[in-house]
Amino acid sequence: MIFKRAKRQGEQRRIGEDKEPLLAFERVSKFYGPLQALKEISFHINPSEVVCLIGPSGSGKSTALRCANGLENIDGGKVGFSGIEVHQAKTDLRKLRQRMGMVFQNFELFPHLTALRNISLALTMVRKMTKEEATARSAELLEKVDLLDKAHQYPAALSGGQQQRVAIARALAMEPDLMLFDEPTSALDPETIGEVLNVMKKLAEEGMTMVVVTHEMDFAKRVADWIVVFDEGKVIEQGFPRKIFEDASVPRTREFLNHLGWHDLTQPEFESNQPSGLGGTHEGSGN
Amino acid sequence: MTLDWAVVWEHRDRFVDGAAMTLLLTVSTMALAVPGGLILAALRMSSIKSVERAATAFVEFFRATPLILQIYWAFYVLPVTFNLRLSEFATGLVGLSLNVSAFNSETFRAGILSIRKGQSNAGLALGMSNWQVFSRIVLPQAATRVLPALASTWVSLFKDTSLVSTIAIAELSYVSLQLRAQTFRYLEILTAMAVIYWLLGYPQAKLADWIHRKVKVEE
Repeated sequence: MIFKRAKRQGEQRRIGEDKEPLLAFERVSKFYGPLQALKEISFHINPSEVVCLIGPSGSGKSTALRCANGLENIDGGKVGFSGIEVHQAKTDLRKLRQRMGMVFQNFELFPHLTALRNISLALTMVRKMTKEEATARSAELLEKVDLLDKAHQYPAALSGGQQQRVAIARALAMEPDLMLFDEPTSALDPETIGEVLNVMKKLAEEGMTMVVVTHEMDFAKRVADWIVVFDEGKVIEQGFPRKIFEDASVPRTREFLNHLGWHDLTQPEFESNQPSGLGGTHEGSGN
Repeated sequence: MTLDWAVVWEHRDRFVDGAAMTLLLTVSTMALAVPGGLILAALRMSSIKSVERAATAFVEFFRATPLILQIYWAFYVLPVTFNLRLSEFATGLVGLSLNVSAFNSETFRAGILSIRKGQSNAGLALGMSNWQVFSRIVLPQAATRVLPALASTWVSLFKDTSLVSTIAIAELSYVSLQLRAQTFRYLEILTAMAVIYWLLGYPQAKLADWIHRKVKVEE
């Protein structure tokens, strides 16, 4: 495995800063009726970067993620994905979405299909692979998330953590340039959170560009290259993890982190050979 | 009072023909009313307001008026108003199908709406088209959920086909009532009619119960 991502805490330049951003939000606004869910938010993700969106429940993080691949319309500003404007009538959303994998809080595996078929469905229907090709590719991906033995199980027979790993494999099958994670561990039992975070960590190490909405502050601090803090539909602060977690400049950010019980500011630096299980500060409830 | 059961046996061919017609009507009606219900359900979920309203009006009309009225309407009004002259069988089939389509559309709509949005989002996020998402993800899940309700509708329909006897379609009720008038053997003929309906209907009802128990969507 190639470790493209050496941790370079304290370095002043963002990963991929010399390249065009892969995903860019520019003054994006979004309304649900009278409620403004996003208030002119701007942030971007560079190639090979892992960006975590953090902030209180209902602050607009997940909405922003769904705007990224056009699952939600926007009411102002623009979202660009590798130079293509997402919310334009002429944009081929189906093409675009194939390049952005998405993982959901509630897994959203298709309950009427086996784990393998969950992965191969889009390969045959969207990628037009033959059944044999799709099956082989799906098996490869199940192996990657260590679930090849569950290939012919239905989702109901899998644990939450296993379901989420299948969901990650399903998204990866399309060979996306970018992975969107919408609170991938919020619906999991504490004991299965680690296995999902480990898969995500591995992906990050392989150089996958990732946007992760999360309440897993430990994961955010250790794995993210850049943190974007949301509050009440606004981006209130963004920066390197160390800066955000140890020296946030916005009082509301510190308040939020304290509220999650983030007191552990002097924690030792993350080491890649650390045993599995990224336990840490978990906010138990999803939203 | 002497009972003469021989009269039933004597007219067995007509009973058999009548029962066959009843089954044919039931099967043909369902064969039309399943796609009909799906189309109506789709129209009712249309984002175009006028389409949605028209479909809703149609469904509510057929759900809230008696089936026998609808059959009469198809028989008397359709030919005059739309200059559409159909055979008795076709008329009965149209009346029953429109009615059952209306009921099925509500069943389907409820089934489709019960599949949470995240499922469609998951399909769309993989680059699938709206149609692929509907046909491969939403519909298969909705189908298992609506199967019990559909089975109940089937059993009702089987009995409701008796209403088309009023427009002289020779199904089981029509045949029986005719025989009754011809032979004056009310008790024998009506009992035979009841027994045949029961023999045909009971297994269907049991099958519907079995489907009720069997179909559980695991998530």
